[in-house]
Amino acid sequence: MSRIGVFICHCGENISRTVDVEQVAQAARQMVGVAYACDYKYMCSDPGQTLLKKAVAEQRLEGIVVAACSPRMHEKTFRNAAQGAGLNPFLCEMANIREHCSWVHDDRAEATAKATDIVRMLVERVRKNKKLIPITVPVTKRALVIGGGIAGIQAALDIADCGHQVVLVEREPSIGGHMAMLSETFPTLDCSQCIMTPRMVDVVNHPNIILHTYSEIESVDGYIGNFSITIKKKARSVDMAKCTGCGVCMEKCPQKKIPNEFDKNLGFRPAIYVPFPQAVPNTPVIDREHCTKFINGKCGVCQKVCGPGAVDYEQQDQLVVEQVGAIVVATGFKLYDIGEKPKGSAIKGYGEFGHGKIPDVIDGLTFERLASASGPTGGKIVRPSDGKEPKQVVFVQCVGSRAREKGISYCSKVCCMYTAKHTMLYKHKVHDGQAYVFFMDARTPGKSYDEFWRRAIEEEEAVYIRGMVSRVYQKGEKVVVMGSDIAVGVQVEIEADLVVLATAIQPRDGADTLAQKLGISYDKYHFYSEAHAKLRPVECATAGIYLAGACQGPKDIPETVAQASAAAAKVMTLFSKDKLEREPIVARVNEKYCVGCFACKKVCAYGAVEEKEIRDRQGNLIRVVAYVNPGVCSGCGTCQATCPSKSVELDGYTDEQVMAMLETL
Amino acid sequence: MTATKNVLNYSYYPGCSLHASGKEYDESARGLFKALKIGLQEVPDWFCCGATPAHNVDELLSLALCAKNLELADKVEGDLAVACAACFSRLKTTQHKLGENEVKRKQVEQAIDGKVSLNKPVKHLLEILARDFGLENLRGAIKIPLTGLKIATYYGCLLTRPPDVPQLDCVEAPTIMETVVETTGAETVAWSHRMECCGANFTLSRPGVVLKLTGDILASAKRAGADCLVVACPLCHGNLDIRQKEIEEVTGEEYHMPVFYITQLLALACGVNPTKLGFGSMIVSPNPLLKEKNLL
Repeated sequence: MSRIGVFICHCGENISRTVDVEQVAQAARQMVGVAYACDYKYMCSDPGQTLLKKAVAEQRLEGIVVAACSPRMHEKTFRNAAQGAGLNPFLCEMANIREHCSWVHDDRAEATAKATDIVRMLVERVRKNKKLIPITVPVTKRALVIGGGIAGIQAALDIADCGHQVVLVEREPSIGGHMAMLSETFPTLDCSQCIMTPRMVDVVNHPNIILHTYSEIESVDGYIGNFSITIKKKARSVDMAKCTGCGVCMEKCPQKKIPNEFDKNLGFRPAIYVPFPQAVPNTPVIDREHCTKFINGKCGVCQKVCGPGAVDYEQQDQLVVEQVGAIVVATGFKLYDIGEKPKGSAIKGYGEFGHGKIPDVIDGLTFERLASASGPTGGKIVRPSDGKEPKQVVFVQCVGSRAREKGISYCSKVCCMYTAKHTMLYKHKVHDGQAYVFFMDARTPGKSYDEFWRRAIEEEEAVYIRGMVSRVYQKGEKVVVMGSDIAVGVQVEIEADLVVLATAIQPRDGADTLAQKLGISYDKYHFYSEAHAKLRPVECATAGIYLAGACQGPKDIPETVAQASAAAAKVMTLFSKDKLEREPIVARVNEKYCVGCFACKKVCAYGAVEEKEIRDRQGNLIRVVAYVNPGVCSGCGTCQATCPSKSVELDGYTDEQVMAMLETL
Repeated sequence: MTATKNVLNYSYYPGCSLHASGKEYDESARGLFKALKIGLQEVPDWFCCGATPAHNVDELLSLALCAKNLELADKVEGDLAVACAACFSRLKTTQHKLGENEVKRKQVEQAIDGKVSLNKPVKHLLEILARDFGLENLRGAIKIPLTGLKIATYYGCLLTRPPDVPQLDCVEAPTIMETVVETTGAETVAWSHRMECCGANFTLSRPGVVLKLTGDILASAKRAGADCLVVACPLCHGNLDIRQKEIEEVTGEEYHMPVFYITQLLALACGVNPTKLGFGSMIVSPNPLLKEKNLL
């Protein structure tokens, strides 16, 4: 290729401040194969792109080097412009003289020389570039949603309403997640169940939603548009097709004293149970760990009383395979368990707050169950220890959150608001009670949020004490909270009847193993990472996988719903095309030279390398060689670097090109 | 005792209190370690670590005092055993601060005209007993089980704090002292004020504050059903023991709670002659309690 155009951008002053762009253009004109070079103030602007297109036509250019910012910023822009001018877009490359040069250097002469070198290398590369044709892969227009909380429900409904099938997988026996556990929600105090349960029913009745409850993701294969998901359906011991949800089995189950996890262990449930009366699906499950039949075989009452004969002790775990084109991850959160932590753990725990030892020290979710009309006390706020009505309640914010020395430095975002809500709910139910709140800062950004918080103080008379708590201990019937009031500068001791700790929000247990199955990244706290903090907040770096809700970071309900709908919109964008175009920067095996050692297969992180049999016309096997599935390959180049016989090459980054770039230096 | 007979050997920094008001801590520590065949060789020419006053007045002075002591200790073989919680905290803090601040370390080295020994392991007696010697071995060395004693283990401020510095145990909810005490067969009570401050050296300048803080500690221990306290710090001991009568007068509560050093109790259980454990110099005499439990 001999007619290359070099276009040098000033980037306003970002580049031209340190790089003499005219000098670079002049030098470029002398380079082998360069037919044309110019500089312009904003190459990415409309006039800049027009200039490029005009030059292609007038100068009959066959390749383009744009010396400007990072290809991550504008490669797409200029390749589109090249295509507009009638060139194959992959004959256009970017020389990064901003991030790699002007931004990091001061000396004008040296920076100019370096920019010239960078341009020279890219010219060499473009000289050896080949036309590449985008790869198309078919799209399976079905989505998988992992997690049946409000995030998963919202995403599933949005996608299903658009006419696409959705497979919704939930780990627990019922969908609903944490939102189903809440009493009333801030800042409007509308009942959580009243707004949640109709959506749950919508899910189960939707013709486009396939619901797998009491199920987990076993494995994930494939790539964007073509995922194959293996789901483990745990044995429910109840035939969902036969069960009518009459509830007789639960009434007759002799095991009545199993702590109810849904009520944060405040109430009890039988061994065959639905987590809560509004559960969806309304099909019980047998907790085999606690069921007498499974422990020693001496029961079987539920099977005897079941009219339709739905109880099935022989049921086994089942593996189901579903084909989908996109995945929404909405696995939610758990509350920080504040007891003492094992030695060596980065998370230090709060042994000094007595949670788990003092019965009247509870966490925020437990308070929600106490305040909930469908909770174990029917909405009456009482002490777990003796059932008495607490007259003094101390709320402690930031337990675990924003505590670097305890291992978590982030803000859990929802606690300021839900604590304010708790003080109100408490005051509404115990009129002569007094709520105290220990807080570091009150963070109330959100529509009508600050007004809500002010209302807790001004109208509902919660006493807010700015300062942290050092210790909580039992003294007779009372629970003493020792803390500081930094506004006044004194130590405070409050003899409380009940202490509620607003503990930090953490990702669900197992978030890391699920991420490994999906091939998505997560941060040190195991929150899933979005592709870009601002511009791609619902997409994973792995194509075809999207995030919704608190699995990505602490979020309240409105934010979660917004993100879930955004994720659904992204899925629908993907499903709007029948075929998916992918960048053709993929590895290609030279079958003539491949010796079939499969070193490439071992190092491929994406499982893109397959074994291909080469046979003669009679069908006799001659050799087995490597084959790279272009649909799966993500163009990382590891196989190319590994191959001992140099038989794998990455299109656009061939050995010949890379060597030419180095040699020209 | 020669070195070869000992199972473990340490250099030993007693600190000022152990040569004065906390003499019984020193005596019982030496007695206990001899019985366990753990060698203690006192650092020659050691001097005050600066305790609380020095670092409140002059940081360089406080670091230099400890750095010099560490330099002296380096000349004696074995990890440095420290009995007093304040000395322990100061020595560890010095190593921590100078380890992460090159400029300060050079300043201090100029001041002491020597090298700071950052790598000499500084260990509290509790650590040596629980980890180096080991709880199993300790259990094996018990000759007179202290069955029937209900003990409130009191850590005070400095054994585990500030966070990340002493690294003795969990900062706010440690258990090391309980595990050591329980090897004797005594019972430890769960109580609320294990980690609260006794008021420390405000005992001289603001006795009122100390009476309140120390009084709360005694009240909490009594509420939990303890019949004595165990400490590992001479200043805590002073406040809880010496001020006890005064607190009883102010609050009208009766305590009569002996305050033992951890080494006194362990030495007693390991069969060291009780007359060598300094029980006589305690203000609240432990004799009635020990006799009642048939331990004397």
